[in-house]
Amino acid sequence: MNNFFKNTISSLALVAMSAGTVSAQCTNDVWNKVMSNGKIVIGVKADYKPWGFRDDSGNLVGMEIDMAMDVAAKMGVEAELVPVQSSNRMQFLEQGKIDMMIATMSDRADRRKIVGIPGPNYYTSGTNIMAPKALGFTSWEDLRGKKVCGKQGAFYNQITEERYGVEIMAFTGNAEAKQALRDRKCVAWVYDDSSIGSDLSSGNWDEFEMPLASEDDNPWGLGVPLAEASCVFGNFMSGMQYNWHREGSLIALEEKWGIKPTAFLQMQNERNSDWIE
Amino acid sequence: MKQISGINTPLKGGMAVLKQFDINAHSPDGYIFTRWLAALPWWTPLMMLTIIVAYPTIAYAQSGFSTYDAFDALWRWMPFLVFSGFWFNVLISFWTLLIGTVAGVALGLGQISPFGPLRAFSWFITQLFRNSPWLVILFIVLLALPFEFTLFGQTIRVPDWMKGVFGLSLPIMANISEVVRGAVQSVPTAQWEAAESLAFSRRQILWQIVLPQCLKRMLPPWMNWYAILTMATPLCSLLGIEEIITLSRQAMESEDNHPELLVPFYGFALLLFFAYCYPIARFTMWLERKYVVKT
Repeated sequence: MNNFFKNTISSLALVAMSAGTVSAQCTNDVWNKVMSNGKIVIGVKADYKPWGFRDDSGNLVGMEIDMAMDVAAKMGVEAELVPVQSSNRMQFLEQGKIDMMIATMSDRADRRKIVGIPGPNYYTSGTNIMAPKALGFTSWEDLRGKKVCGKQGAFYNQITEERYGVEIMAFTGNAEAKQALRDRKCVAWVYDDSSIGSDLSSGNWDEFEMPLASEDDNPWGLGVPLAEASCVFGNFMSGMQYNWHREGSLIALEEKWGIKPTAFLQMQNERNSDWIE
Repeated sequence: MKQISGINTPLKGGMAVLKQFDINAHSPDGYIFTRWLAALPWWTPLMMLTIIVAYPTIAYAQSGFSTYDAFDALWRWMPFLVFSGFWFNVLISFWTLLIGTVAGVALGLGQISPFGPLRAFSWFITQLFRNSPWLVILFIVLLALPFEFTLFGQTIRVPDWMKGVFGLSLPIMANISEVVRGAVQSVPTAQWEAAESLAFSRRQILWQIVLPQCLKRMLPPWMNWYAILTMATPLCSLLGIEEIITLSRQAMESEDNHPELLVPFYGFALLLFFAYCYPIARFTMWLERKYVVKT
C-alpha cells in the first residue's frame, strides 16, 4: 500500500515536472509551419500612410511593407500580406490567421500579454494635437473639458481623456476626424506627431498648428505569436530589428517614404553601430 | 363591464367617439423602402452627381487642395474601388440571398408544418433573427466562426467576406421565412379542402398546388429584400471586411486624408449603390403591380 502511494506520488510529480518542462520548451509550431509551407502571412496596415497603405492600383506599399518583405526575403520564403486594423490585429495573430505583424502597434504592457513583442523596438512616436492657430493652445491643460477629435482604436484616446479630462470624439477615419475639426465640432485633432507634422508641411493646413510638446513617446513593436516570443521566431525577429538598427536600414526607409527623421532611429543606429568600421 | 356605445358595443346612432382602428393604414407595408426608391425620378442620380461635384467647390473654396484634385484622385482609384470593392458587395449580397433563400424557404415551410414542435422551433428562430440588429448578428458570426477549418484532412480557409455572408444570411433567412409563410397562407383554404377531397396528399397539395401559385407572389417581396440586403452590405466595413467602404477609407488615407475627398468618395459609393438598386426597385414594383390580387 505504502509502495503504491509512493509510486503514485512520484509518477504524479514526474507528470507535473514533465508538463512544466514541456510548457517551457519551444515547439516552434508557427515557425516550422512557415518554413515547411514556404510562405509567411504578415499582417500590415492598409490605412496608415506612409507606414502601410495602398497605391491606386490597390497594392500594399509603405515603410512597414518594405520591412515585411525584407523579413520574408531573409527567411527565404514567400510573403503574403494581409491588411489588418488596429482593432483586430492582435486577435488575428492570436487566432493564427496571420503568422506575424508589423502594423504600427505601440508596445504596451497589456499588449505583451496577448502577443509576443520581441525587442529592440523598431520605431517610436508621440502623441500631439493639430489645432487652429487662432485658439492659441500652449499646454495640454488648456484642453480640459473641451471636445477633441480622434481616430478609433488609438490607445492615447483614453490616456488624454483620463489625464487631461478632454472629451474624445472618435471617428472611423482620419479624413472624417479632420473634417470635424474643420467644421469646429472639436477644438483639436489628437494623433501621432509624425502624421500631424507631414500634414502641416503639405500646405493645406495653414491656419492650423501643432502647438504642444509631444507626449507618451511610445516605442512601436512588431508582433509574433506569444508562445514563440522567446523561441526561434522571436529571436529571429530580434535579430532582424537589431540589424536594421545597426545597418541604418530604417533610417534609409524613413527617408524613402518621406517621414521626418526621428531622434530615436539615430540613437538606435549609434548605439548598435559596428565598432569595426 | 360598462357598455359604451361606439367603443365596445356597436354604434347606436349619434356620432362615433373613435373610428375603428385600421391596422393596415397605420403599419408600413413590406415594400415601404422599395416603393420609395422606385418612386424617385430617373434623373435622381444625375442630380446627385451635380451636387457631389458642386458641393465641395462651395464648401472648400479656401483650401489649397481643390475639388479638381479630389476628383482626380477619385478617377485614379475608381477601377480599384469598383472591381475590388463594389464587386465584393455584389458578391456578398448574391451569396447571402442564395443561402438566405434556401434556409428561409425551409424555415418558412417549417412554420406551417402540421408537426407542433417543428412549427414552434421555426417560429422561434424566425422571430429571433428577424428582430435582432443585423450588426450584432454580424459581430457574433465574425468572432465565433473560425478563420479556417479542416474537412477530410483538407484545410479550408474561410475568407472574411464569406463570414459576412453567413452573418447577413441569418436575418435574410428569417425574413424570407416570413415571406414564404405569408405567401402560403394567402392561398385560400378552400383550395386545400378542394385538393384534399380529390385525394391529394399534404405534400402533393403543397408542392403541386399551393407553392406554384405562391412563387409569383413571393417574387416581389423577395426582390425587395435583395435591394435592402445589398444596401446593408457596407455594414461589413465595420468588421474590417474589404468592400467598397473599407477600401474608400483606405484610398482616402493614401490620398492624405484631405476632408475634400469625403464627399467625392462616399458620393461615388452612393451612386454605385443607387445605380445597382434602382432598377431592381423599379422592376420589383412593376412585378408587384402585375401580380397584385385585385380586390
